[in-house]
Amino acid sequence: MAVRRPTRPRFVLLLLVLTAGTIITLGYRTQANGYVGKLKGYASDVFSPVQSGVLDVFRPVGDFFRGAFDYGSLRKQNAALKAQLGSARRAGVAAADQQRELKALTQLENLPFAPSLHQIAAEVVDTGFGNYQLTLELDRGTSAGVQVGMPVASGEGLVGRVVQSNRSTSTVLLVTDPSSSIGVRDGSVIGVASGQGLGQALRVDYIFPPAKVKKRDVMVTSGLQAGLFPPGIPVGRISRVSDHTGDLQEDVDIQPLVDMSSLEFVDVLVWEPPSTAPGAAAGTASGSG
Amino acid sequence: MTAAVGERRFNAVARSRVLLVLFIAVVLQLTLGAGVRMFGVHPDLMLLVAVSGGLVGGDERGAMVGFSAGLMADLFLQAPFGLSAMSFTIIGFAAGMFSGTILRASWPLVLAGAAVASAAGEILYALLGAGLGQSQMVSDRLSPIVGVVAILNGIGALLVVPVMRWAIFPKTDGGVRRRRW
Repeated sequence: MAVRRPTRPRFVLLLLVLTAGTIITLGYRTQANGYVGKLKGYASDVFSPVQSGVLDVFRPVGDFFRGAFDYGSLRKQNAALKAQLGSARRAGVAAADQQRELKALTQLENLPFAPSLHQIAAEVVDTGFGNYQLTLELDRGTSAGVQVGMPVASGEGLVGRVVQSNRSTSTVLLVTDPSSSIGVRDGSVIGVASGQGLGQALRVDYIFPPAKVKKRDVMVTSGLQAGLFPPGIPVGRISRVSDHTGDLQEDVDIQPLVDMSSLEFVDVLVWEPPSTAPGAAAGTASGSG
Repeated sequence: MTAAVGERRFNAVARSRVLLVLFIAVVLQLTLGAGVRMFGVHPDLMLLVAVSGGLVGGDERGAMVGFSAGLMADLFLQAPFGLSAMSFTIIGFAAGMFSGTILRASWPLVLAGAAVASAAGEILYALLGAGLGQSQMVSDRLSPIVGVVAILNGIGALLVVPVMRWAIFPKTDGGVRRRRW
């Protein structure tokens, strides 16, 4: 006799999928400033101390393995010399690390491209949760004045913009994320740079031939009407210009000036997009600037 | 194929344990998960919990665990809120349809089953996201994401499946936990 599959699991599946669909619809309608944004903020604030605690717990474990690795490379030396050398090296590495941090922070103190904007220094505490968005987590949130939509820069140039701000942390969408678009210019030539993924150059569209751009030029944010970024922040250096005769636009790539994979400190620029831009500060993942 | 109808629902102990596992999974994803990267891709622990929930508990419980895991993941993602909940629900349910077959088999089949389900979960997530206007989710980067998540989650399933069995089937449900995998 054939076994009949019970209908309850399918009913539960349908119910849960419909619930998820309803949540998606509500999320779209309320945007980041609505209930969903608040819920995300609460969740981040709840998990943030736990996250910091766990990271602190596991950091010595990582240090232990790094120490073990160093020991292996020095095993031919005698014990006394090894101890002294190890100690000296640790001190040297620590000093070099402090020098590097000091240099990074000094650079942030004197951003050459945003002299009139107030800056909030923040430390990068983590990369993003998912695989589909290129984001960074900062250790500063609304309590320090960080708001959704604010640009984020390092000493070299533009990093991204804040898409989620919680009480003590915030999330930055990197310029290299495929959903990120930035209005850029090189002299009088303007275009829109789009992210292509981590480690990839940004593609610049809407540069019409004959354009006066050349390799190694630095493109900066255009800050045109309703832009998401203030003007003049360096974005990247032109790494490719190919002018195919007859094409409607030139193929231009720019290599970001900032190495997104090794960021430790950044500056959040206290600047808000013009309120005339509908949804500009609403925390959506995409938008042009 | 799956657990008997009377065993489909979570009892209070199981609910508490599943919530505990989800909480720990979020913390691990936020901390260690972000640090473990292969080709720039890290494991998707929340998807792994959903898949393992299905493999252990069957279709209905898989859908419930998937929905909960997805909703928690959505709290930390910039993608449309509810997208993970929807895709993980479907994947948890689908994985649960094969629970009887896979869990009675040896560990390589558990690994392979979790890997295939995780790959399917990533593809479904990207396709649903693209359907909701996030067209950048379906790009050249999708292949490495699917591949790496499948490998890492497949290996991770060897740890997470026993944990989910502990969570979903407290000792009062004797017998079911005596399965080999």
